[in-house]
Amino acid sequence: MQISRRLFLKYCGASSLVLASCGIDSRGPDGSLEQRDDLASVLPPGAGARVIWLTGSGCGGCSVSFLNRFSTTAPVSAADVLMNVAVVGFQPVIMAAAGDQAVAAAEAFYAGGEGTYVLVVEGAIPTAFNGAACVLWRDASGQDVTVLQAVQRYAASATAILSIGTCAAYGGVSAASPNPGAVQGLSTATGLKTINIPGCPPHPDWIVAGLAGVLSDAPMSLDAQGRPESIYGSNIHVSCPRNQGASTVFATTHGVDNQCLRQLGCRGPVTTAPCPSGLWNNGRNWCVDANGPCVGCTESSFPQVGLRTPV
Amino acid sequence: MATVKIIDPVTRIEGHLSVQVTLDAVGGVQQVTDARASGTLFRGFETILQGRPPTDAPHISERICGVCTVAQGLASVLALEAASGLTVPDNARIMRNILNGADFLHSHILHFYQLSLLDYMDGPARGPWAPTWSTDKRITGSAASTLFSHYQTALDMRRKAHELGALFGGRMPHPPSTVPGGFTTTPRAARISAAASLASELVSFVQGTYLPDVETVATAYSDYSAVGAGPRNLLAFGVFDLDTAGSSKLLRRGRAEGGSTSVQALDVNAITEAVTYSWYQDASPVGPSAGTTVPSYPKNTSAYSWLKAPRYSGKVYEVGPLARMWINGSYTRGISVMDRHRARAQEALLIAQAVQQWIPSLSSSGSVYNQYTVPSSASGVGLTEAARGALGHWVSISGSTLSRYQVVTPTCWNASPRDDKGALGALEQALVGTPVTNADEPVEVMRVIHSFDPCLACAVHVARPGKGATVTRLGTAC
Repeated sequence: MQISRRLFLKYCGASSLVLASCGIDSRGPDGSLEQRDDLASVLPPGAGARVIWLTGSGCGGCSVSFLNRFSTTAPVSAADVLMNVAVVGFQPVIMAAAGDQAVAAAEAFYAGGEGTYVLVVEGAIPTAFNGAACVLWRDASGQDVTVLQAVQRYAASATAILSIGTCAAYGGVSAASPNPGAVQGLSTATGLKTINIPGCPPHPDWIVAGLAGVLSDAPMSLDAQGRPESIYGSNIHVSCPRNQGASTVFATTHGVDNQCLRQLGCRGPVTTAPCPSGLWNNGRNWCVDANGPCVGCTESSFPQVGLRTPV
Repeated sequence: MATVKIIDPVTRIEGHLSVQVTLDAVGGVQQVTDARASGTLFRGFETILQGRPPTDAPHISERICGVCTVAQGLASVLALEAASGLTVPDNARIMRNILNGADFLHSHILHFYQLSLLDYMDGPARGPWAPTWSTDKRITGSAASTLFSHYQTALDMRRKAHELGALFGGRMPHPPSTVPGGFTTTPRAARISAAASLASELVSFVQGTYLPDVETVATAYSDYSAVGAGPRNLLAFGVFDLDTAGSSKLLRRGRAEGGSTSVQALDVNAITEAVTYSWYQDASPVGPSAGTTVPSYPKNTSAYSWLKAPRYSGKVYEVGPLARMWINGSYTRGISVMDRHRARAQEALLIAQAVQQWIPSLSSSGSVYNQYTVPSSASGVGLTEAARGALGHWVSISGSTLSRYQVVTPTCWNASPRDDKGALGALEQALVGTPVTNADEPVEVMRVIHSFDPCLACAVHVARPGKGATVTRLGTAC
């Protein structure tokens, strides 16, 4: 991983500030970022951090959110990640190859041996019907390969395992009660330690920060739910601009600006994520500024029955 | 002798799909003579929603699909509002249109550049663009370089489409702002001006880059204007309400049979779903309002998909941008792989221009929400369109909780398995007759599949070879 680490440090501005510089930009409400570096030229074939990105039971929203990456600090965009940082052997939403050729691409990375690639998993792991509720492909012998079997195979040799999104991290919507597919998060299904980047979807900066953390030597401190503390360190309600302490005004109906949404079922008080400072979609907005109560999508309890029940 | 080919996984789609084709020579030309499309993922949203408070439904429903998230949430609130006889303020209707329009634009741009283009040309020689099949790539050299630079521009433009959506939605994907009774966001002046600027950029991109690029591909592959017709029956629920009642829409509701340009009325009660070839407990075809979703796996040797088979009056219909534009009288050139790409791009322009007009019609002081109260007992249907076609949610409420929830997604119409009468689904029919030059690299099959823009987050696969066929694997061995 020497090349990838050097590249990442270069792209992230070097030093131990990898997570800060590569990950979370803090911006004001009008702080959308329109200045950006030009994309560097495409790396030669094979250069870059090797990534296998599998999709289990989910909606594809994590991939879509990753494509929304935009930053003034490199990697400036998803295209920058794909062309200059990572070499993605398998990512079913965007890869050119299909069928056996696609499977062979993942197998080629696997054949590189222990510690030569990062495994990224989006979506959860169904265990009902012997895993047949989510079949990824057929292998060379004509056998169905379930997502459970695939993650067990590729996780064993991976440098690190990133569970991207609440489904991969904890089961999420895919495992919602009564969980007809007997769906589990990756760590529970495999018994392996994962670095969890929850969110439904996770912010693209969190995904990039997670990847940067794995590829650098900077130590990544995880909280009790396996989340990097550098990303998931702050409670939404505590850092919410609508929380004005004793002078807080509480909204009792939808469509009213600047009022605390707690009585409408906002889960900010029990949710940790940097949404109030990082904002979403290039600093354009975030749920609460749109008067949308926080749905608690980064928590392992998401989505409990009664999403709008006040906490 | 026939050869069976299995493409598993089908990539550059959303979700999990496996396609099996039988290849044989007909009139001296090797072509697809039979096809099976298998959804290989079961998620069970209908079961997850039962027993929940109705206000959970839009949040959970959105997570059916990360690509057409807005349409799923919208279908959900439309069903809840229909059950309560509730209408929404103009501001809410317009913000919903802008939000859904922005999601369509992100999806259409993503579909052409990121999901489809690599069937016609190569990208850089590194993952995720390599390895790739080399068969029949007619766009090369400087033309390919130009298109790949547009591939990168398109990533920026689809991101900006999501920024436009987030200005009103709160964030994308999975915005929290579409609620029964209206919308949560207020259309502040700063949002309106930022949205106008983004919409203008999107109109320019669609007009100046996307539409010409589709013509470049359609010219190089003119034979694909005669490949992949499918059932030639087209259906649209219609979308983008222009009045409170939804009786006037930017893209109207209706259906057309046999490639006719004569549009007929659509009766929602004529929709049924068959499960004969699906891994669900057997039942006669019934409408979604009476349907159940009880998984049965393994079932029997003939079942091969987690998708059900929706039919209209027992007939197979195609849904999507071509169907919408056709029903609207906005596109009647033909029904084929390239016509799907052309109609999708032309629809993108129509929607981008409409969004541009809707933005200044928002009233920064107008209301956005009418009070919604959960009924103790009611039922309703929400019909709208996702980027990839007609979408319906059927909801029943009992004891103030959801007692039944059924979803019929666009890809269920397009990528359905055979029905109770053995009729092939729309994609399966479109595949039959497709010439395949190199059986080891059936890129032609991928072109037909991608023209439908399948999205299988709501279903999945297991395909078995037919009798008398030789089964070989695609590509190099693992």
